[in-house]
Order: sequence, then C-alpha cells, then structure tokens
Amino acid sequence: MDTILIRFERVSKDYLADGEPVHALRELSLDVAPGQFVALMGRSGCGKSTLLNMAGAMDLPSSGRVLLDGQDTLHLDDAGLTKLRREKVGFVFQSFQLLANLTVAENVELPLLLAGGASARERAREALGWVELDGYEARLPHQLSGGQMQRVAIARAVVHAPKLLLADEPIGNLDTATGDLILKLLRRIVTERGTTILMATHSPESVVVCDQIVRLRDGRIEAVETRDAR
Amino acid sequence: MLRLFARLILRPLKSEPARALLTAFAVALGVAVVLAIDLAGEAAAGSFRSSVETLTGDADLEITAVGGIPEAVYGQLATLPVALRLKVRLEDYATLSGGGPDKGAVVPLIGIDVVADALELGITSEAGPVPDKDSVWVSEGLGLKAGDSIALQIQDQPGTYRVGGVFKQKGKIIVADIGLAQRLVRRPGRLDRILVWVPPARTVDEWQQQLQQQMPAGVTVALQGARTQENRRMLEAFRWNLRVLSYIALVVGAFLIYNTISVSVVRRRSEIGILRALGATRGAILAAFLGEAAVFGVVGGAVGLLLGRVMAEGAVQLLGATVESLYVSSRPAAIEINAVSALLAFTIGISISVLSAWSPAREAAGVPPTEAMARGRSDYLARVHQRRDLLLAVVLAVLAFVASQQPPVAGKPFGGYAAALLLIGAGAMAIPAMVDGINRLSSRLLLRLGGVEAMLASRSLSASLRRTSVLVGALATAIAMMVSVGIMVGSFRQTVLIWMDNQLKADIYLRPAGTASADRFPTFDAALPDRIAALPEVRAVDRFRAYPISYNGLPATLAGGETQVVELGGGAQFMSGDRASIMRRLPTCRCVIISEPFANKHHLTTGDSVTLPFGRFEIIGVYYDYANERGYIIMDRRTLLKYLPDPAPSNLAVWVKPGVDLDQAKLAVERAAQGSNVAVFANRSLRVEAIKIFDRTFAITYALEAVAIIVAVMGIAGALLALVIDRKRELGLLRFLGATTGQVRKLILCEAGLLGLLANVAGFLLGLALSLILVFVINKQSFGWTIQFHWPVAVLTGALSLVYVATLLAGLYPAHIATRLNPIEVVHEE
Repeated sequence: MDTILIRFERVSKDYLADGEPVHALRELSLDVAPGQFVALMGRSGCGKSTLLNMAGAMDLPSSGRVLLDGQDTLHLDDAGLTKLRREKVGFVFQSFQLLANLTVAENVELPLLLAGGASARERAREALGWVELDGYEARLPHQLSGGQMQRVAIARAVVHAPKLLLADEPIGNLDTATGDLILKLLRRIVTERGTTILMATHSPESVVVCDQIVRLRDGRIEAVETRDAR
Repeated sequence: MLRLFARLILRPLKSEPARALLTAFAVALGVAVVLAIDLAGEAAAGSFRSSVETLTGDADLEITAVGGIPEAVYGQLATLPVALRLKVRLEDYATLSGGGPDKGAVVPLIGIDVVADALELGITSEAGPVPDKDSVWVSEGLGLKAGDSIALQIQDQPGTYRVGGVFKQKGKIIVADIGLAQRLVRRPGRLDRILVWVPPARTVDEWQQQLQQQMPAGVTVALQGARTQENRRMLEAFRWNLRVLSYIALVVGAFLIYNTISVSVVRRRSEIGILRALGATRGAILAAFLGEAAVFGVVGGAVGLLLGRVMAEGAVQLLGATVESLYVSSRPAAIEINAVSALLAFTIGISISVLSAWSPAREAAGVPPTEAMARGRSDYLARVHQRRDLLLAVVLAVLAFVASQQPPVAGKPFGGYAAALLLIGAGAMAIPAMVDGINRLSSRLLLRLGGVEAMLASRSLSASLRRTSVLVGALATAIAMMVSVGIMVGSFRQTVLIWMDNQLKADIYLRPAGTASADRFPTFDAALPDRIAALPEVRAVDRFRAYPISYNGLPATLAGGETQVVELGGGAQFMSGDRASIMRRLPTCRCVIISEPFANKHHLTTGDSVTLPFGRFEIIGVYYDYANERGYIIMDRRTLLKYLPDPAPSNLAVWVKPGVDLDQAKLAVERAAQGSNVAVFANRSLRVEAIKIFDRTFAITYALEAVAIIVAVMGIAGALLALVIDRKRELGLLRFLGATTGQVRKLILCEAGLLGLLANVAGFLLGLALSLILVFVINKQSFGWTIQFHWPVAVLTGALSLVYVATLLAGLYPAHIATRLNPIEVVHEE
C-alpha cells in the first residue's frame, strides 16, 4: 500500500482576476497519507478551495506538480483527468449541489451512470443506506431538509468508492447540531471505509473529527498540526 | 425611467449579444417575409396594368367583345353625332425568338393606329413624322435601335421584323400598326379594344349606358380599367392566402419573443424585487420589459425592411410564374417599396413583439418586493398550469371546428383562417401536457437508449416546462405549417395526376410554341389541323379553341372542343350526372359544361344557365378541372363557331391509329407542322410539363415554409444558449461528478434532439389537423377545387428529417459553449 495518496510538490497557482495577478498558492508542498482526515483552515482567499480543486484534478498547477495516487495531473489530458476523478475522487459542497430535477436515488447514482458503471441503482441504494436515508430514494431534493440534502450529497460522493473525498465547507450551510451529525458521518467514512478526506473549513469545531489540521495563509502553509481523532 | 430601462434591460442584452441578435433576427425575418410577399404580390398583380395600360391612357370607357370587335363598330361610333374621341387597340403577344438573354420571353404586341397615335406615344420614324406601317416599334427596355431587326414568333409563325423606332416606355413591349398587327395575329377586321373619351355633357355612367344600347350583341361597353379590376379581383384570393401564409413566420417569431422576455424576467426576478423594494412602480417594471420587446421589434423591423426589399426580388419571380400559370399573362413590374407597406410591416413587427411580451412583462410587474431575496428560477419552472391549459386547448379545438364550418365571407375563407389560428392556439395550450407526459413516460427508456445524458436532457426539459413548451410550440407551429402545406400540395398534386390520367387521353398534343399562360391562346394556321388529320397515322384530331372572357366581373375562359373526338378516350369526369349522356347532349343542345372552379366562383350548378354576350346557355354538367383557376365554360366546337366563326384552333389533340408507333406518328405530325412554330408533346411529356408547372407554382409556399423553419431553428439555438447559461452550475457540477466534455456536449445535443423530436410529434399532429382545414375549407372556399386527401409520405419524411437535423445543428454552438464553461468558476459562483 502506498504511503502517500496525494502529494503537492512546490505547487503554485497564479491567475488573473479583473486583470490583476492573484497568487492563490505559493510553492506549497504537502503529503496526505491514505485514510487520513485532513482539515484545511484559513481565512477566505487563503487558497483552501484552490488546493481542493488541484487535489480533485479539476485544476492544474501553474508550477510544481500534484500527484494523485501516483499520477501526475499535469501529464494527463482532459479525458485522463476525468477518468482519474471518476475513479478516485468524490466531492461534497457547502450548498449541497443536488440536481433539483432528479430524485434522491438518481442524484446518487449519477457518478456511476456518467462513468458507465453497472448496477448503479443498487449501489446508490446501498450508499443511501449507509448515510441512513433508506426509503428516501424517490424524493426530490426540495422535499428534504438541509442535513438530509448534505447526506444525499455525501452518498453521491462515496457511491463509486473513491479513495479521496474532497469537502468544501460541508457544514457551512447547516445548523450546529446537523453540522455535528455530518462531521460524524464524514469521520465514519474515513474510519470504516478507509477513504481519505480533505476538508476545507472555517469552523474550529470541525477539526475535532480530523487527524491533521493544515493552516493556510496567503497561499502558503502556515502550520500543520496532527491529532488523534479516532 | 430611461436609466431603469438601460440598467435592467439594455445592459443584460449587451452581455449576451449572440442571443439578442438571434431574437432580433427572428423578428427581422418575419417582418421581411411579410413585406416581401406584399411587395412581390403588388408587383405581380400590378404587372398587367403596367406597360399595356400606359399605352391605353386614361380613357373613360372601353369597348370589348369575345373574339374581337368587328371593325364596323368603330365606324358606327365614329359616325355618331357626338364628339367622342376614339382609339383602337389590338392586343396580343409575341415571343422573342432571336438570340440573347431575352430569347423565349413573351412580350405584349399592341396594334395601334400609328398615324393617329404616333405623336402621343413618342413614336417617330427615321423617314419622318409619318411612321412606316410595315415596321414594328419597340420600347427602350428591349435594347434595340431604329433600323435593327427583331425575330418574333407571333401565333405559330416565326418572322423577322424591322425596328422602325424606339419609344420611351418601361418594360418590354412591341407596337405595330393595327393593319399589320391584324395580319400577324390572324384577326383581320377585328379589334380587341376601342378606347372612348366622352364629352363632359353627361356622366360616364350615362354614356356607358347609352353606348351599350347602340352596340351589337356580344359587344360590351365598360368603364376603363374594368379588366384590370377583374384581374385584381381574381388574384385577391391567391394574394390573401399568400399573405396569411407569410404571417406564419411572424407567429413563430412571436413564440420566440415570448420566450426571450420570459427568460429575462426569470433571470432578473431578484433584481425586479430589489427595484420594487426601492420604489419602482409596477407600471415602470411592465414598461421596461415591454420596452425590451419593443427594442427587438424596432431593430428586427428595421433590418426586416431592408431584408424584405431584397427577398421581394426573389419572391416576385416565383409569384410571377404562378400568376402566369394559373391566372393571367404577367410580367413582373418593378418592385416599389411604398411607405404604407413598409410602415405596415414595421408596425406589425413591433406590435407582435410587444404583444408577445405582454404576459411575461405582466408577470414581472407582479413580482413583490419580498422577492428581492428569493431565488428566481424555480418559480419560472413551476408556473405551468397544465390541467387548465389542456382544458383551454379542448375549448379552442372545438371553436376551431365550429369556425371551419362557416361559409366564406366576401369570397374569403375567414372561418378557415380563424380555425387555423385557433388550432395553433389549441396546440400551444396542449403542448406543456404533451411534453411533460412524454418526458415522464420516456425518462427510463431514454436512459437505456441514449445513456445518462439523454435522461438528464429529458429531465432538464421537463423541469423547464414552460420554456420547453414555448420552444416546442414555436418549432411545432413552423413544422405544422410545413406538414399541412405539404399534405395539401401533395394531395393536390396526386389529384392533378389522377385528373390528368382521366383528362389527357389523346396521344399527341400541339400548341403554338412559347411560354404558356392561363389567358393567352395563340392560334394555329387554320389549315394545319386538316393537314394533320390527313396523315395516315392519325385517327382523329380535336380542334380546341379558347377565348379569354369576362364573366360577372371576373376573368374566365370560353372554349369549344370537338365533343365526339374527345369521347374517343373518355375525357372529363363530372361532379354529378352520367358522363356519357352529358357528352352526347353537348353537341346537340344550346348548352355548356363548366369547370368546378367556375361553378364555385359563380355559384352555379347543373341546370342553371350562363349568360354570355351572345345568349344564354344551359349548364348540363360541372366537370373536375385543375388546369387553371380562371374557370372554363366549354361548348361543342360547332356551337362555338356559330357565334365566333374564327376556325383557327389554339390547341390540338391528336389520336393515333391503333398499332401505329407513337414516335413515328409524332415525327409525321412535326413534319406536317413545318413552317409553323409549334410545340408538339407526346402525352407523357405533356404530363411531365404540367407537373413541372404545378411544382413551380408552389415554389413560393416552400420558400415561406423554409423561412418559418429557419426562424424557429434560430429560436431553438438562442433558447438552448440561454438554457446553457442558466444551467451552467449544473453543467459544471457534472464535470465535478466525472462527466467528460463529450458527455456535456452530448447532453446539450440530446436536449436539442428531444426538442426537435417533441416539436416534430406536436407539429405533425397539428399539421395534420391544419391540412384538413387547408384542403377542405381554405382551398375550397378560395379557389373552388376539390382535392382528394393524400399522404405525401416521402416528402413529409424528408422534410421532417431535415428539420430534425437542423434542430440538432442548432444545438452545436450552445453545446460548444457548454463544454467551454469553467466548472470551478460556475460551481463557486452559486
């Protein structure tokens, strides 16, 4: 088993915003081992989301390289990046991002269908069972509470058993109690399924479920703390 | 208010120029078609008064007679003890038979008294003020000069004539001295018109009555211009129907304006809420969105005027050909854009735009200030009242049926038009339920057949039900028009083919060479039929002679044929009564048979009688006829010769003896006709030519359909673009979830494909219903033809497939835009 699932090697990301250069990441290096729950913390604009996008093969570094499960994302074309994402990455967003016109089960099975996988509905049911939403398959997103919607989003993120789950402020739109439930669910994913989670968060309470806290400031790592959250 | 308009409406429009331009262009095309048909119709209808009537001058009365006025009538008028000013005219046609681009063109040949009229027309001779009576004079348009020679075919005789001079006159026209003209057209001692200027002592009507009393039987005194009025009246139904057809593109455009404004309202719902919270009145919001539509109307209208002028050039060629085949000799006049037509088209463009925007603009005005914080899109999706709309659809369909049963008003099928409009309305109301139903039923099937992209496309269309329905409605309306006209024309074509099978029984047909027209009947040398009849290969010859006449203020054709010869092959099919007994009676009684269009136009039937200038004749049968729309009164040749003794026939039908080779017989006939310029057709090639003319006649309707389809497909492209922009978050999310760019492209193309499919289904069903109205109501009431219903399967399949492919192609650009979206940006924007 590899000891590193995702490696950032001197990664920089620069882009132009309204004609002005923005340095989102500056020569950042970070290794994340399999089965780790890592929290990325820092102020808005510190580079958390950019780091998640690089990790999920949605974006490429301006310099340096990102290795996901040993594959250098810079060496892959669009189809290769999509394949990598399909097989190894799941995403959870702050605003759930469910498709309003699909039922719960259809939302969950979507990554499998896009990848052309078999037994999509059955695996979607299993994933829903895992997030304790049995019986909700036929509902539409607007018939669910915020917490339920985020659980559906988590089921969708893990339905294809990815090695890496990227969560961008997953409890930002939830009340405290619901947020805690979601954090516990994410922890279960790490513990029971061995999935690695990289979670961008503002919330100091979130870190209680994490193994590692990476503090970012102005595109650089300011500090890395390790803790035992098991 | 202007600032509000600029910020709320103009700025967003500028940010999506492609979509704004597509919408404006859709309006432009609609306006252009309306204007083009109006201008081209006017040019085609105006062409018979152009050159000939300029030569006529502004006389008070004109005297005419079927078969020509005896010259003695002129003498009688000239000796009346009143100061009448008189001019004589002989009017016929000549075919330019020399080389050059005009070869084969048919131009008016006018016989005048050159000595009397030369100065007035500006005709001079090289030799001096008195023109040479053996020359012809040509208008400037023919590009010749005095002393040149011109090759002409007059009747069936080719010849070369010296150009005595050139006179100032628009168009192409040839003038000869009346004596020469009478010789050339073989009407010695006959005049076609005597123009009369009356003294002011009495009114023109009184003079008309007085002169009429002094005329011999068969000679008519009418107000000058009556013939032009008759022609215009005859063309009225044709022009009306074309005009109605031209409005379809605007109706399709109306759907698209509705959609564009609806999208604007939905996108800016929260902005509207904020503006309302900040004190904007409902009226201001309503005006702003109506203003947006007006912008499309003004821009589209202005471009449409320019485009319409260009399109009119093409349309007038097509229209001219149709008018010539079905109605009257026509030379397209110059297209003149007049202020009334332009203003009308422009106003219609703006009005349709603003009216289409009324409903979404009212919705915008109804947005409460509390929506400042609300999400917009879901409201748009939800506001479809399927059940209510479906009920309304049923009501409209019932009203359409009731309207279709109404008789014509002033000869126009207003009930039919109303029925068609109501049906389109019913279709628009039923479409949401149809779209939703089909999508619900087919979602899982689509997943199996087209993969997840097809399923997502179906769900997306279902979720945006109102928008989808409007798009399907727009394209379905255009398709329905295509299907209905396709079925009508296909049915008509098949009916004509069957009719030709029954009607064209002879083996060989002859007519003087040159372009045929519905009111031009050039004649043969009277000896030619006898030469042909004497050929050993020939069994019998039918000598057919036709005259253009006026019947109850409408142009018609009076003709005589040899009944017994025609009976050799069977011939005409009658609407009622026994054909054999009708044809047995025809040569022996003072009676006629009439064609169906003539019967319908004049409300006549078997047992009634027709009053001709030389007496009353009983109608003993009404026969099916599709040759032209003027309508025929047919009598036996012997009866006709009693009243119009000119024996020269205008058409010959030749029956070949059994066992004789047809090609050999045709060669023999051609040899017998040597010296005359005659077109000889074997039965089969005559049918081919007839069908060619038929297809040419309907070319304009195909062109109109094409424009409506283009407008609709442009609308689909614009709407899909809007859909991509509105759903960019979803499309970006799919990339996060593992979709390739290819899958995103396929998703948008699937949406285009589904829209096309739904529109094809709806359009086909609506088109089928509309075709029944076209065939059995509008056509029957306008033109008086009975058409047998027929499915033109190949044409419909081809046309529907073409539209489907066009719809898919319309999805290409939006699909390209969808693949270019940056998923990170669009997902994080939310």
